[in-house]
Amino acid sequence: MATVLYLDELSKKYGSLQAVDRLTMQVEAGSIYGLLGPNGSGKTTTLGMVLDVIRPSGGNFLWFGRSVSRETKRRVGALLETPNFYPYLTAKANLQVVADTKQADHRNINKMLDMVGLGTRSHTTFKGFSLGMKQRLALAAAMLNDPEVLVLDEPTNGLDPQGIAEVRDLITRIAAQGKTILLASHLLDEVEKVCTHVAVLQSGKLKANGPVGDILSTQDQLLISAEELAPVLQLLERLPYVVRFAQEKNYIGLTLSEGYSSTDLNRDMFVQGIVLSQLLVRRKSLEAQFLEITQK
Amino acid sequence: MNLIRTELRKTLLYPTFWVIMAIYVLLQVLLIYFSSNLSISGQSLGKSLYEFPNLWMRFSYIAYFFNLLLGILVIVLITDEYSYRTLRQQVIDGRSRTEAVLAKFYVTLGLAAIGTAFLFVVGLLFGFLYSSDTTLGAIFGKIDYLSYFFVQAVGYMCLAMFFAFLIRKSGLAIIAFLAWSKIVEPIIHYQLDDRIDRFMPMKVFGSLTPTPGQELIDGLTSPTMALSPAWAVLPALFYIALLVLASILLVRFRDL
Repeated sequence: MATVLYLDELSKKYGSLQAVDRLTMQVEAGSIYGLLGPNGSGKTTTLGMVLDVIRPSGGNFLWFGRSVSRETKRRVGALLETPNFYPYLTAKANLQVVADTKQADHRNINKMLDMVGLGTRSHTTFKGFSLGMKQRLALAAAMLNDPEVLVLDEPTNGLDPQGIAEVRDLITRIAAQGKTILLASHLLDEVEKVCTHVAVLQSGKLKANGPVGDILSTQDQLLISAEELAPVLQLLERLPYVVRFAQEKNYIGLTLSEGYSSTDLNRDMFVQGIVLSQLLVRRKSLEAQFLEITQK
Repeated sequence: MNLIRTELRKTLLYPTFWVIMAIYVLLQVLLIYFSSNLSISGQSLGKSLYEFPNLWMRFSYIAYFFNLLLGILVIVLITDEYSYRTLRQQVIDGRSRTEAVLAKFYVTLGLAAIGTAFLFVVGLLFGFLYSSDTTLGAIFGKIDYLSYFFVQAVGYMCLAMFFAFLIRKSGLAIIAFLAWSKIVEPIIHYQLDDRIDRFMPMKVFGSLTPTPGQELIDGLTSPTMALSPAWAVLPALFYIALLVLASILLVRFRDL
């Protein structure tokens, strides 16, 4: 796999604030890479630096193994923070300006407007658009010269549920074309739903990174209780598919290895003559996982 | 070429551009029309104002005041790019920062060309209506004042451009531009010897369109040390280059 973007100890300091602290990571071709972190964790600053609008105070980054230039920029479509357009120009005129800058084929404009569902609104001025439409226009602009890589900063921020669904659907469709996507988000379920890889940022530091499955486990947690907890605990020690368990007051919380479910546990308990008074499947909240990662 | 085409796309569809240009044209025609009622040193200018070839000198002096309006337009066009974050987006999309500044410099050249062409048309109009001498020699006698005006307009707008890139907020940039050109630099002029302050930027730009009837005033008081228009061109071009260069450096070394 070719490396699309490589960050080497990239840092940014604003006065005494270390916004990004020696960030080292790489994005492989074809992946959907999520940059996950709370507001103010340095996501936008990081993207701003690799997009050449914020000057790093230290470190380095390479696009396609080269330093940033007009050529590398042409292979990357990006939107940073908000959709940036001239409010008094129509959707089409705005895309013409973008096409000039990117030296893209002007015939792509209508095609892209259709792709994001703005084909019939191409003559509406930008200021008349809803936030969702503005966001979709920004995606159309980013896609204008059919880049290999898309960089998206909080693409669903501020949208209503329908807008979020539309934009996510669009991202998934774009990803299906084999493009590499670097996506910053503070929404865990967004990263979990859309991304293949994730890097967790907090206060400008990289807390964890890797495939989404490794970082954000989706294992369920079970809560069980019985009249007598002692035999239950004894049995749990012997069941090979129980990853971990812990007694909490009058119930036991436990995690099963992949491929096993509450049914297996219930059956084995019953076979051993233990009748559970309660069996509860609880989805481990992403927020809890996130806190676990960032407090490590 | 690409840069100019993009700037045209953005500017020509911008209502604010047309409003400011309309004010520019309207106020200037009004002032030119009513300035025949003015009197300098007790002499009423009357219709002599519109005599070829001195008309070019007088009209360019009148147009000089309206450079402030062009400067404000340039500030609006540039600070808009910051508030819409479109400058940032253009750099993301592959335009260099130097190109982004040059694009705005081309806009100032275009606006100066429009202003000069407008002055030429108005000059011909008033000249043919009121001038007693309409021979070719008279018409084109002092036409070089139009080129001095062109350089002056570019100079004023480059100063405005510099403040716009420096401050990035329209209101503050306009205040800084007006304060420097009308208050701060004139105060410095008072402190300095005439032989030095004639090389200060606003003084140089001002020298390009000398006050009509300066000869009369000079006769009454001590003669001014101001540069002649032809001599002011060189330092004016120097300041223009300096301001463009400073703007480029500002944009290159700051976060967008």
